[in-house]
Amino acid sequence: MRVPEKGCVLCEATWGDYWDEVEGQRMFFCCDICAVEFKNMIREVIARTGWESIDEIKIDGDYRGRDCIALKGDKRYGFFVRFDSKGQVQDLNDRPITGARVEPQKSKAV
Amino acid sequence: MWLNRNITKTKTDAKSLSMLLAEFFKVGEGGLQDWVKRRFVEKFYGSRPHPFVLALQHPSRGTLLGYVVEHQHFLRQWVRSCSFIMARTDATDVILYELDNINTEFGGLGPEQPSHYELLLRMGESLGLDRTKILATPALTDTVEAIQVWDNICQQDHWVEAMVAMHGLELIANRNLRKEGARMHYFDPTILETGEVTDATRAFLREGYDADVGHSEEALDLAAKYADRFSIVEDVQATFMRSIDAFDRYLMARLERGRQFESA
Repeated sequence: MRVPEKGCVLCEATWGDYWDEVEGQRMFFCCDICAVEFKNMIREVIARTGWESIDEIKIDGDYRGRDCIALKGDKRYGFFVRFDSKGQVQDLNDRPITGARVEPQKSKAV
Repeated sequence: MWLNRNITKTKTDAKSLSMLLAEFFKVGEGGLQDWVKRRFVEKFYGSRPHPFVLALQHPSRGTLLGYVVEHQHFLRQWVRSCSFIMARTDATDVILYELDNINTEFGGLGPEQPSHYELLLRMGESLGLDRTKILATPALTDTVEAIQVWDNICQQDHWVEAMVAMHGLELIANRNLRKEGARMHYFDPTILETGEVTDATRAFLREGYDADVGHSEEALDLAAKYADRFSIVEDVQATFMRSIDAFDRYLMARLERGRQFESA
C-alpha cells in the first residue's frame, strides 16, 4: 500500500513514534489511536469492496470525519469515515456527513 | 493528539514547542474572557467550522430532531453542573447567577417564560416527535461520554474551572462572536424571519439567540474575577480545553442522531 512519505499514515502528524503492521506492511503512526483507526478503516473497506488488498487511500479531513478514496488498480471506492473515542468505526458511508463539506453560506443582516 | 489538534502537527524541538505552548496559553490584555472566546471561535467557528454549525445554518428536520433528542440529556446535566457550582462556592454573585441560569434553562419562569428545556421539547413535538418518545430515547455514546466529562469536572475540579467549562459553551449561540472572528452565526438569522422552520423551532432558537449573549459573558466575567483571586488561571484554561473537546464530540452526536432520523 502506498503511504505518505512523511508522518502518520492517518493524520500526517510527525509527532510520536508508534509503529504497527497493517496488511503485512510496517507503518508509522503518531499514536496508537490513529493505528487502531486506520486498521479498522482498512478492514471495513476490504469487507465492503471485496478487494484482496488496497493500493492507496487518499484521505482528506480531520478528527471530525474524513473523506477518503480507496484505490485498487483502476477501481475507486469513495467514502466518509468517522471514529468513536476508542478508534472504532462509528460511521462509514458513501456520502458526506450532513453539511460537513459545504462552504458556509453568507448570513444576511437582520 | 492534543498537540496535533491545538498546536501543530509538525514535530518541533523542546524550545520551539515551549514557545508555541506559551503563545497558546497567553492571556492578553482582554483577560481570560478574551482567551476563552479566541479558543472557542478557533475550534467551532474558525477555518473549519463545526459540521453541526454548518448544518444548523438552514437545518433539516433530521438535524433539528438530532438536536432535540441529544440536547435534552445535555440540559439535564446542565442543571446538575450549575448545582455543583452553587454547592461548592460561597460567592453570592455566583450563586445568584447560577440560580437565574437554572431557572432560564430548566425551571422556567411561569407560563409566560417557559424554560429552554421546555422550548426544546416543544420544538421536537412541532417536528412530529412525541414528547414521551423524546424523553424515552437514551443518549448516544458520544453524548454520554461528554456528559461524564462535564460531571467529573463539576464534581472534582475547582468550581471556577467548572464555571468556565460549562458557561464557556454558551458562547456557541453568542451573536457577538462575529466581532471576535467567527465566520458565521450559530444559525443563519434569516430563518427566524421566514417560514423555513416551525414556530416552535423559531421560539427555541430565538430564546438562545437572545439570552445566551448575556449569560455566557457574565459568567466569564465572574470566572475571570475568581480565577485571578484564587490564582488558578492556567487550571481553568486546561479544563476549558477539555470541555470544548467534549463539546465537539457532543455536537457530532447531534448530527449522528439527525442522520438516524433522516434515514429512518
